[in-house]
Amino acid sequence: MFDIYLLEAGINGILLGGVLALLALGCNLVFGVIDVVWICYAEMIMMGMYGMFYLVSVYHWPFLLAAPVAIALVGIIGVLLHLIVIAPLLNAAPINQLLATGGVLAFLQALATVLFGIDFRNLGIRMPVIEVSDMYLSYARLLAFGTALAGMIAVYLFLSRTYTGTAIRAISQDRQIMPLMGVDSRKIYLITSLIGGSLAGLAACLLVLQYDVHPFIGLTFGPITFMICVLGGLGNMIGGFVASFIFAEIISVGGLYMDLEWGYVFAFVFFIVTMFVRPRGLLARKS
Amino acid sequence: MFRRGLACLAGVLGLMAALAFPAVAQEKKIKIGVVYDLTGPFAGGGSELHNLGAKIMIDHINATGGIEGYKIDAIYADAQSKPDVAINEAVRLIEQEKVDMLLGFFSSAECVPTAARVEQFKKFMWITTCIASPVLENRHLKYVFRAQPYGTQWGLASTAMLTAYAKEAFGKEPKDLRVAIIHEDGAYGVDVARGNSEGAAKGGLNVVLKEGYSVTAPDLSSLVTKLKRARPDVILHTGYNPDISLFLRQAREGGLRFQALIGHGAGYTDYSKLKAAGGTDVNFFMDVDPISIWEVKPDALKPGLAELTKMVGEAYKKAKPETVIMSAHVGMAASNTHLFLSQVLPRAIKTYGGIDAEALRKAALDVDVPEGGTMLGFGAKFEPETAVMAGQNNRAYPVVIQYVDDKAYVVWPKALQQRAPVLKLPDSSPYAVK
Repeated sequence: MFDIYLLEAGINGILLGGVLALLALGCNLVFGVIDVVWICYAEMIMMGMYGMFYLVSVYHWPFLLAAPVAIALVGIIGVLLHLIVIAPLLNAAPINQLLATGGVLAFLQALATVLFGIDFRNLGIRMPVIEVSDMYLSYARLLAFGTALAGMIAVYLFLSRTYTGTAIRAISQDRQIMPLMGVDSRKIYLITSLIGGSLAGLAACLLVLQYDVHPFIGLTFGPITFMICVLGGLGNMIGGFVASFIFAEIISVGGLYMDLEWGYVFAFVFFIVTMFVRPRGLLARKS
Repeated sequence: MFRRGLACLAGVLGLMAALAFPAVAQEKKIKIGVVYDLTGPFAGGGSELHNLGAKIMIDHINATGGIEGYKIDAIYADAQSKPDVAINEAVRLIEQEKVDMLLGFFSSAECVPTAARVEQFKKFMWITTCIASPVLENRHLKYVFRAQPYGTQWGLASTAMLTAYAKEAFGKEPKDLRVAIIHEDGAYGVDVARGNSEGAAKGGLNVVLKEGYSVTAPDLSSLVTKLKRARPDVILHTGYNPDISLFLRQAREGGLRFQALIGHGAGYTDYSKLKAAGGTDVNFFMDVDPISIWEVKPDALKPGLAELTKMVGEAYKKAKPETVIMSAHVGMAASNTHLFLSQVLPRAIKTYGGIDAEALRKAALDVDVPEGGTMLGFGAKFEPETAVMAGQNNRAYPVVIQYVDDKAYVVWPKALQQRAPVLKLPDSSPYAVK
């Protein structure tokens, strides 16, 4: 028997997948190239959301004008993160890199608390709702889904069709040899950090339409983003994209038939089982 | 020469002692560790406002001469919205700061384990805020007292109102009134939901869905879809924030319709934030909580309390000049802190000779404040150690309020009613059943 609520849950899962895919995109790019996990990725998104809040709600900038500024702002944070924290630790043990970006996570949370206070803030923008039969689809989520898809394609085209993109791919394949062949690895890392940060900024512009911003919003997205990146294969953007939708569908459809929490339980069980069967992720890169 | 030197030294020491003596007499103080969440999600969800309420009252008492010669030396600690941090801070305050007692605690998830830990130290703990029954239920704690009503009462209040108004407001028998219970899955939400279930069973309401969710869940659209399928007339919701904002946003976008929504404290109590999240959509939403001290009729209170309420309001606005609608959170903590400072502490000092946990415990058990004896309007009498809810103020109760055009009105219980509840959202609401 046709169940419209199942269809709605399925579509909601796809739309949630779009949000998660957008979150995973930048994180995977950075790991794929620089081989460092930005544990503080969700906190960078939080800074971008605050940027959007202040530009749009406090300084009354139009959304479309504020968005590029917020994207650039988080892009610059990405560059600064690389210059100040990552670059000195490039040859350090992975655990040290992880701890360092973990420290940045705590720093950004504390900084946001001091600068912006603990209040929840939102833009107060109401996106229209698309009504199809008895189903209602969130325009904000459709936008996030479309942007994630477009972002994925844009990053793919950039990496495959441009000289810089080719250099990025090359250095991600062999960090030792490429500098010997004339590639300026420092510059490539900076460009990658800028793009990774900008993708976090892009996610911020879309998430701020759906969520309140507060200094600890990263707790909502950080762990799940990291799990999706690992599930898809750290550094594998297509893997992250696929994993986002699998994860989101399990949460959404699972949550419809059982308690909501069971949806998350099944998603995490799927993650654990996958880690046993394919420890490097669903679509792992070959090292 | 030596003797003269000794005499001089003795004289100097004597003078110093004489000078120091009054100072020593004035330095009698009770050291109180005040624990709330000043960072993390609970801070914005109301905890920081509770901290402000307690601080306003402590500062006021100190400014007006202290209690029975004792000044209050408050040491404020941040539980960071994490149960483990709350426990660690409580232990640090007891072991390192050597506090005489602890006061505060916003989150029930923090309260449940911290109460047990503080009891092990045989230190006195005065809970101003957290409401979950498991904090006290069947634990027979000797030194933990709660001025606030307990969670199950929240759930019972909203369902009692629905049962009473089912026919009049909805034109349905209680058994035909479809009710959905949704809650955050921590100690607080689970306990209030338990009260909802008990109340619904008692009133014969038809519970069509009962579901918990994590307060940090990034998505509640499945819950919205389930609610649409269950078609409740009324939603009973218990949450913090920002989960409430997320739910309301996704409910609106998901086309969820209902006739009434009743929140149960925390995120629903801070109207400014609720409105910031939902705009005019939150008009006619209801909330269960102790009454806001600014809504209590002054003539219903013991003499002097109305002036105290005014003082708290002025200090609140001074601390947060941007405040438009004063949050009930501040008043709750201020009143419950005042209850301790005015009823328990002086009695412990005068009758039981000190401020140790035993004296404070005995003094707390002696408290017998009739209705109208606290700023929140209710009285105070604490359950003895042998009772199921040992340490609970059995005269505390919540009320149901309704937000109508930016004003809060008490709509239940009928004895305190400021206006009758509007139990069908108007057509202008995006959530209204049309």
